[in-house]
Amino acid sequence: MTRPADAVPPGALKRLAADLAAEASAALFRRGSSALTFMEVCGTHTMAIARFGLRDLLPPEVRLVSGPGCPVCVTAMGDLDKVIALARLPEVTLTTFGDLVRVPASHSSLAAERAAGADVRVVYSPRDAIEIAAGEPARQAVFAGIGFETTAPTVAAALLEAQARGLSNFSVLSMHKTMPPPLKALLELGETDIGGFVLPGHVSVVTGSACYEFLAREYGVGGVIAGFEAHDVLQALLALARQTRPAIEIGYGRAVRPEGNRVAQRLMAQVFEPCDADWRGLGVIPGSGLRLRDEYAAFDAERRFDVEAGQPLEPRGCRCGEVLRGVLDPAECALFGARCTPEDPVGACMVSSEGACAARYRFRGIDD
Amino acid sequence: MCLALPMRITAIDGQLATIVAEGLEQRASVVLVPDAQIGDYVLVHAGYAISVIDEAEADETYALLAELAEAAAWEDSRDRRHETGGTFDRDGSQEDA
Amino acid sequence: MTEAGKRGDAAGPGAAGATPGGRILLGHGSGGKLYRDLVRDVFVKAFANPLLERLDDAVALTPSGRIAFTTDSHVVQPLTFPGGDIGRLAVAGTVNDLATAAARPLALAAAFIIEEGFAVDELEAICASMAATAEEAGVPIVTGDTKVVERGACDGVYVTTTGVGEIVVGHELGAQTVCDGDAVILSGGIGDHAVAVLAARGDFHFSADVRSDCAPLWSLVEAAVDAARDVGEEESLHFLRDPTRGGLTTVLAELAEEAKLGIEVEEAAIPVSPAVRSVCDLLGYDPLTLANEGKMVLVVAPETAEALVAALRVQPLGRDAAQVGVVTSAHPGRVALRTVYGTRRVLDMPVGELLPRIC
Repeated sequence: MTRPADAVPPGALKRLAADLAAEASAALFRRGSSALTFMEVCGTHTMAIARFGLRDLLPPEVRLVSGPGCPVCVTAMGDLDKVIALARLPEVTLTTFGDLVRVPASHSSLAAERAAGADVRVVYSPRDAIEIAAGEPARQAVFAGIGFETTAPTVAAALLEAQARGLSNFSVLSMHKTMPPPLKALLELGETDIGGFVLPGHVSVVTGSACYEFLAREYGVGGVIAGFEAHDVLQALLALARQTRPAIEIGYGRAVRPEGNRVAQRLMAQVFEPCDADWRGLGVIPGSGLRLRDEYAAFDAERRFDVEAGQPLEPRGCRCGEVLRGVLDPAECALFGARCTPEDPVGACMVSSEGACAARYRFRGIDD
Repeated sequence: MCLALPMRITAIDGQLATIVAEGLEQRASVVLVPDAQIGDYVLVHAGYAISVIDEAEADETYALLAELAEAAAWEDSRDRRHETGGTFDRDGSQEDA
Repeated sequence: MTEAGKRGDAAGPGAAGATPGGRILLGHGSGGKLYRDLVRDVFVKAFANPLLERLDDAVALTPSGRIAFTTDSHVVQPLTFPGGDIGRLAVAGTVNDLATAAARPLALAAAFIIEEGFAVDELEAICASMAATAEEAGVPIVTGDTKVVERGACDGVYVTTTGVGEIVVGHELGAQTVCDGDAVILSGGIGDHAVAVLAARGDFHFSADVRSDCAPLWSLVEAAVDAARDVGEEESLHFLRDPTRGGLTTVLAELAEEAKLGIEVEEAAIPVSPAVRSVCDLLGYDPLTLANEGKMVLVVAPETAEALVAALRVQPLGRDAAQVGVVTSAHPGRVALRTVYGTRRVLDMPVGELLPRIC
């Protein structure tokens, strides 16, 4: 099997773009609207679109908006403050994905804490956090759990492994969230006229496609589950434009099955249970978070440590919330590119490399 | 979310598999894909295989893309012929219509 | 301290000099007999040249014409990695900085800060590496210094190299010389050093078919200068820089800013080895921002680009040389990347440390 990028002839993309332009015109005519707004809800999609410069290929009738799909960006300030508070405990080794290191919390960041002497370690896998716990029994290894359904099963599996190995110094701060609820919340808000969703390919590997059916059934909004290569995104947009009735389609058949990954679903359900979660920009969405079940209380950093994080402080003028809901284009934020840049970010949408603002900044008009 | 790379399984030892991509070797847990076998391509995220890639589907995707590319190339040359009145290529050399 | 550093057996108190298999003691940095023995038995022995053997505090040199002068500190962990070690890095790094000024390396100085307890045989290995690299580059290490700090006060060993070189061209190289239309040439594939070191560090538990590209590049630059002279255009060489930390993107972004010109880069033209690409795809890195220690960016007048690329390709260190971009008066101060799909995006300097992503 060849690497996807090598296997895609450049001409194919041009053709897809041309087909999209044709379908978009037809769709506008059918729907009687002046623009087709499609929303992608996955940070990795935001990143891929920016990296491949896909906006250059979109016809003017198609507007592609970023939604609340960047797990870093949607983590509430209060949760970030808890992570900082844990990192400050002298007995704690705070293990984290790289994505979280530079994110500004109310008063600090993990990078700043590390410079001040905190034991903060970047890991690629939750398994690495387990090994740190096993190798340093005198330390308390706490794992900062962010991510959606793609990541939560891996954390669940790691936690079960820690249990099997009898590790008593490993715990997880679960800030995990699930994907369908915010889509419902967005549609309920009704702020943007979303014509269709580009659905997250790897979350869907775990969840399958049925969980999105309500979008079409109850809200009349279709969705296509998309992979992350340039052609995957364009094909998804094309499929959305082609839909004459709202439907949920799998555009990433090589990785996504309609039923999803049942083993991953089971592990997730075994270790986690749904809870209400606070989404930056969207507020509390019922049942959209994952917390550790009581049987696993011993591995819950929330219960093991008594961390008082204080009142969370939203940076003044920060409009990340509106960006995350897809109602504000990053360039319309007064702080964008001025007070808020990737070097000196104010909000999460800029510091996270797949936040809408960071992606937009990188893609700012080379032709201006 | 989320970064995942297709990699091929070359060995399985209990719950850990040795996986390779071009020039890269790693170990990943296959606890989430218990049916995965040596030789399968899997999507690897954060040190765990989360899905076995359906190679037939993958092949179909790439075949379709190749077709699109061919169509695009054909259209390009057709447009060039129209543009230049059907006899000359852009650089002035003669082309059989 | 590194595992290797712990390997050496402790030399007993009062032991004369640096015994093979022994450890560095605080006394080795104190300037007395222990120090002199260390210098003779390890440094002079490895670097072996008449100027150094005099062990003067300062060395007299007689350069011809203008000289270039540079210094670099090296703190890499781990100290050894596939394709090199801190010693090779230290020598190549300074030789390459001199090369960016089109300066033939004339002499190097090497200063060591060593952690108490560091294994002498590991120090010897580093020096052997430095000597070999210096010989490759045709430059002697003529003077140096050693300090020893208490256990824990540094990470094994830090090396600082300083170099002087003789500038072989008559014109000014630099951002101010770069013009609209100039060709941007890269001497070979990028990302190898960063990935090799990352793999060797073991934090992310992967192994990759990659070796650091660490190498002294004077021979490559000399070939470029000669090629330019051969076509009667010595002054067509406008700008040289090696893409170390921050990678290719940083070199180009800085150049665009300083020259107040734009740069267009072709993604498809930039050589990246399959292993580097795989690691970047796995961990979420951008190969264009990864460090290299054996590559050069050359910005040259367009008329000589082809001849220069050909001349580089004949060199062992330039086999994959290619023109990867062009300088333009459009979008001054900014670098645009044309992706393999024909779309365009801005290339910004990477911010802060290199971090892997899961998203």
